[in-house]
Amino acid sequence: MTKKKTAPPKKQSGPSSHRHTHGQGHCMDLLRQLSAYIDDELPSDICREIRRHLGACPNCEVFIASLQHTVTLCRHRPAPQLTSVDRMNMRHAILNAANAR
Amino acid sequence: MRVPAPKTPPQRPAMQEPDEFDRLYRDHVDLIYRYAYRLCGEAESAKDLVQETFLNAYQGLKDFRGEAQVSTWLYTIASRACIRMRRKRKGQPEHELSIEEFVPTSEGEFRLQIPMDGLSPEEALQNKELQQALDQAIDKLPKKYRLALVLRDMEGLSAKEVGTIMGLNERAVKSRLHRARLFVRRELSARGITHHDDHKSGGLRS
Repeated sequence: MTKKKTAPPKKQSGPSSHRHTHGQGHCMDLLRQLSAYIDDELPSDICREIRRHLGACPNCEVFIASLQHTVTLCRHRPAPQLTSVDRMNMRHAILNAANAR
Repeated sequence: MRVPAPKTPPQRPAMQEPDEFDRLYRDHVDLIYRYAYRLCGEAESAKDLVQETFLNAYQGLKDFRGEAQVSTWLYTIASRACIRMRRKRKGQPEHELSIEEFVPTSEGEFRLQIPMDGLSPEEALQNKELQQALDQAIDKLPKKYRLALVLRDMEGLSAKEVGTIMGLNERAVKSRLHRARLFVRRELSARGITHHDDHKSGGLRS
């Protein structure tokens, strides 16, 4: 009697059935695409896949939150402003240097 | 009666239109100072960079054809000047950042956090330790990555504009930006800055 071939496992989807492959393919793929994900530059099917992975991988979820925080902090980091005296002094210095050359 | 010949005008500076320079300076000096400060991390070097940028612009204004926006042109001059200035000061080659070096090697490392949950970015940045850690992390970035991060995430330019300034295609800009963000994220979270309810003073875990 021939042994009945076992059917390959069906590709599963959805957060509950997502196999956590932390430290292997999924997390590494995610790491490569995080900026594009944050910047909303990925096609919707890839975004869905990433969200599915995030739902099943708390580590990646925390990682992406911290990367998002990093970008947010950079975007909001204020820079000091010049005083009018600084502006005037620099203008003089530039024109003097230009005339000296 | 002989009309006296007009006096020879004083020799003109290298630039054709001095008024044009004043307008350029007035309209863009704050923008370039902000950019320079973010690149240099402190005021005196930033002022040096602003002066170098506008001196180069003064000399190059007559050749500027207006193909790019004036601000893009000035960002480009400032970026090149910054690279020259830093090369003179440090004189050492800067390393490439690879994605692999940012792969967390332990679960704890994966879960390092930045203390800003429930706070607006402005409130979070009142934590002086966090602000200082952010500045230091940006300063530690190799310059080509720093330029990409500052132009894109701090100056708010598009990847295309950053590419024009840095002489790169968009894909290369995004690659550098991603590595720069991962670097800063790792530096920030590795400092273990604690969350303070009053967020006016911060502290580092020992």
